[in-house]
Amino acid sequence: MNKKKSGIIGIIITIIIIILLVTLSNTEINNLSFAENAVNKIVMPIQNALTYLKNKISGNTTFFASIDELKKENEELKKTNSELETTSRELEIIKAENETLKEYLNLTEKYNTYTTKPAYIISKDTSNYNNIFVINIGEKDGIQPNMTVIADKGLVGHIISVTDNTAKVQTIISTSNTVSATLSTSRDNVICRGTLNNNELKATYISTYATIAEGENVETSGMGGIYPKGIHIGTIKQVVNTKNVIDRYAIITPAVDFNRIETVLVITN
Amino acid sequence: MKKVIVNILIILTFLIIYIIQTNFFNWFNIAGIKPNLYVIFILFIGLFAGRKMGISYGIVFGIILDLLANTNIGITSLMLGVIGYLGGYFDKNFSKENRITIMSMQIGATIIFELGTYIINAFVLSYEIEIITFVKILLIELLYNTLLTIVIYPIMQKAGYKIEEIIKNKNINLLTRYF
Repeated sequence: MNKKKSGIIGIIITIIIIILLVTLSNTEINNLSFAENAVNKIVMPIQNALTYLKNKISGNTTFFASIDELKKENEELKKTNSELETTSRELEIIKAENETLKEYLNLTEKYNTYTTKPAYIISKDTSNYNNIFVINIGEKDGIQPNMTVIADKGLVGHIISVTDNTAKVQTIISTSNTVSATLSTSRDNVICRGTLNNNELKATYISTYATIAEGENVETSGMGGIYPKGIHIGTIKQVVNTKNVIDRYAIITPAVDFNRIETVLVITN
Repeated sequence: MKKVIVNILIILTFLIIYIIQTNFFNWFNIAGIKPNLYVIFILFIGLFAGRKMGISYGIVFGIILDLLANTNIGITSLMLGVIGYLGGYFDKNFSKENRITIMSMQIGATIIFELGTYIINAFVLSYEIEIITFVKILLIELLYNTLLTIVIYPIMQKAGYKIEEIIKNKNINLLTRYF
């Protein structure tokens, strides 16, 4: 009897542990700001006092003498700041103008040139090491293998097999998938490979003379025959330089959040 | 007759596990990592219903899983078959009375399954092997699987002994029916 009771208590404790682990691991750090606040409130006053003391000791001699200079400098800075602001505003206007002009010239092949079919994701892969999902449209809706799948923010993957009413999509983040891509500003070609981490792609085969910067956009190159040109893949998060320039690589954050994706579009032409 | 019912129940349980695995665990996960209930289930069949049942159900369910959501057919099926065999092996050599033995069997089976699938897939689909990320994912998965085993252990044991009685002692059942 006693043994049975302790067994039930053990099971309840385990269930509580599972729920705690799931909720804690899935809440973002932003949602825990109250905890951060509390810690900050305790630590900050001490830190403030310490920095104040340090400044007092090190900058005591020049503290009063430089006030006038500082005032002058401040005024100058304000002036340059306002000037810069006006120029940046002008640039913004020029940028917008440029974009509309480009659109008039049909230089940007945006998604509206493709005919797409919306679909829901009905089942995701069950293992942790591959990333395949099933959508609710199939051969009857005109879906065929090797068609490109996109979401509102960017590239998702391509179709690998179809049945009458469903289709399997291989995502770009699955480890067995590679995409030929171009860096949007420097037009250098790279190859994007999926990794085991769901929020990362690895860009390899970067040519030795290529200039590659963090924050740069990456889009499909149109080579390879599956993906059309100019679909947004993601942004470069980090460039990893190794000892040899030849095997340096970059980590790309995909534009689509693959953990929360629910609907996709299939390009049918 | 009872055997047929057991088989039907096993298939139904598989369907339920499939639905749980594809829907429920997609959001109820630890840091984006799902547990693997199939391994626990096939190990359970192998442990309580014998080696033959374990291997055959492992292969059949593996093929179904491969068809439903995989690029290649046969890898999951092969590995689940191995797990079924392992279940039969454990059944002959270890006691099933203890919770900790079942937990360690489950840990061993999960490691063998995931490692096998990953390595075969890496060869077939030719991708780079990332050891550190793989181990990280595997450890979280093992933790999750172990916690789940603790929760479902009483059900496993009760249902398991009933299945064992029906499938392995069929002669006794026949005798009791006639006398």
